[in-house]
Amino acid sequence: MASSDGGPAMRPEFQRQIPNAAGVLLILFFALFPLVYTGGNYDYVMHVLITAFFYAILSASWSMLAGYAGQFSFGHMAFMAIGAYTAALFGHYFWITGEATGLCREIPFFGNWLVVVNPIGVTSTTLDQDCLRQAMTAWDGSVSVTRMPIWLGIVLGTLMGGLAGFLVGILVLRLRAAYLALFTLGFSEIVKAVISAEIDITRGQAGMELPPLFPDGVTLFGQAFGPTDKIPPYYAMFGLLLLCLAILTWLARSRFGLFVRALREDQDAAAALGVNTTRYKVVVFTITCAMAATAGAVQAHYVQIVTPNMLFLLQMSLVVAMAVIGGIENFVAAALGAIFLQIMLEVLRTSFTIGGVEVDMTTWRLVFFGLLLMVTLRFFRNGLIAPLIDRFRRAGVAAETVEKRTATLTGPGGGPHRADAAEVPE
Amino acid sequence: MIHLQVNRLEKRFGGNHALKGVTFEVKGPELIGVLGPNGAGKTTMTNILDGAITPSSGTVYLNEHRIDQLQPYQVARAGLGRTFQVTRSFRRMTVLENLYVPALALGHAQGKAALRAQAMEVLEFLTIDHLRNEYARALSGGQQKLLELGRLLMLDPDVIVLDEPFAGVHPKLMEVIYAYIRRVNAAGKAILLISHQMDAIFALSQRLLVLNFGELIADGPPDVVKNDPAVIEAYLGAEEPAK
Repeated sequence: MASSDGGPAMRPEFQRQIPNAAGVLLILFFALFPLVYTGGNYDYVMHVLITAFFYAILSASWSMLAGYAGQFSFGHMAFMAIGAYTAALFGHYFWITGEATGLCREIPFFGNWLVVVNPIGVTSTTLDQDCLRQAMTAWDGSVSVTRMPIWLGIVLGTLMGGLAGFLVGILVLRLRAAYLALFTLGFSEIVKAVISAEIDITRGQAGMELPPLFPDGVTLFGQAFGPTDKIPPYYAMFGLLLLCLAILTWLARSRFGLFVRALREDQDAAAALGVNTTRYKVVVFTITCAMAATAGAVQAHYVQIVTPNMLFLLQMSLVVAMAVIGGIENFVAAALGAIFLQIMLEVLRTSFTIGGVEVDMTTWRLVFFGLLLMVTLRFFRNGLIAPLIDRFRRAGVAAETVEKRTATLTGPGGGPHRADAAEVPE
Repeated sequence: MIHLQVNRLEKRFGGNHALKGVTFEVKGPELIGVLGPNGAGKTTMTNILDGAITPSSGTVYLNEHRIDQLQPYQVARAGLGRTFQVTRSFRRMTVLENLYVPALALGHAQGKAALRAQAMEVLEFLTIDHLRNEYARALSGGQQKLLELGRLLMLDPDVIVLDEPFAGVHPKLMEVIYAYIRRVNAAGKAILLISHQMDAIFALSQRLLVLNFGELIADGPPDVVKNDPAVIEAYLGAEEPAK
């Protein structure tokens, strides 16, 4: 029997499991890919995927903020940058030494010294002018100098991003729609301007260098990897993406998800029904901004440099476009949209020739990208992937509504009893 | 026992004096109709009761707790629920999810199965149980009105303010809403019914409040109020009151 909505003749209970099965297969695919990939340009392919996972975290967390909670923030990249710069500044300015330098600001620290390096900006021609480098020259290797743990910088970046998200969340409580978008855009520009202006501390447009994610290398699956190998950062970023998706899934299925969606639909009505809209608005900003900050900090260590250019509006637009093309009302779709687009943008770099005319795809790819965005917005308002998931998840709903209505009209007995499309939240 | 006290409510919007010393009291499960021409202050009063706006002066007490300075969500939890003049269902959420919002917002410890059973009971009473998995946006205007009433049942407040529940509703659905109002009232809830539909107000109400230019000009049983000369002049105008 074919179902009435034209789908394949499968039981709805089975169809509703298809997105889960596809998800497991996708996770397995990406988990095994670096181990089985034997095509060329291994490092380049891995780099594209790591970047794709980075954007997927941004896109998924932004979809929770904009798609679920209806808070169209254009400042998501600012929180990403706050995470990245917190990690960079922390790693750059804080060190542990075996002895006092006598030159820096320093305090005793569990038998060692916690040293705060003085900012010297980018005016100096050599980098050995800060107090620690001078001390190290004098010590000539006789005193231990240890950098702060990478993970601690990432944790601090997450906390700073969450704190900034919390404060912005409070400031935008009364702002809706276009005003919120403009406010967050302004915030993003301010963060960029501050980073650019504080040259002494942030080195401005010159950017700051960071150590790699695993500066001393790491051993995975019994195999040793160096600091520049792609496999450790691949699994770090992929793991972070899975962690973020797991947190978002948990949030979306709990009453938190229910309330933020009610907030998106109608803030006043949600409040009139007892939902503390203020609290949920602030909490959703805090959580999603903290996620963006974590992604920013990890990515900063991976690419080993941060610059204010990560705050270009184009970067934010890219994240928005990825989420929109995937579908902003489903964060998994938004994440897949980001991975898909990032890969497509790389694939489209390949130039080709039509009838003797060479099409330079390095410039034209953005045109294709723009066209895809326009077509999606015009014809698929909830993106390309989210409706597909929704179609499986809601299999049989329309048919059941009709059957039940018919049953009430023709007499008792009722239609089939199926599971609800949405479960009761935790 | 339910006790709503509204004391000398004043509200000014700039030069517009929207409410002028409105005072009344609701004791127990009364079913009260609120009448008044456009601009009389009915919606302003609803918004003050609900906490959406604060009064310029005056107080509102619900069960001896002051509620006029509270946020809307606190007022809802204190036991006053309202519907909106324009239907405000959560359109991109399913019908069941719409009902879960107020129940979970109250934070009552209640099992999932019990919550779902309660929601299904509400939907069956409102005759829209077959739509439980549909998005609210797929419902007709009247069905969305019913859904909004259903959400109130899940909130289970002591006092319910219904702002124009009959606007744009099919006669058949009107019967369902009539039944809803009577049943909720019989279950011990006080109801303030704001409507322009005279026949509905007179059919349902045990008591009438009439607002005109922000003033409460009459408060009493429908039979008395409809013969009040001030009411006839202000509201019913040239037309004879209903029989």
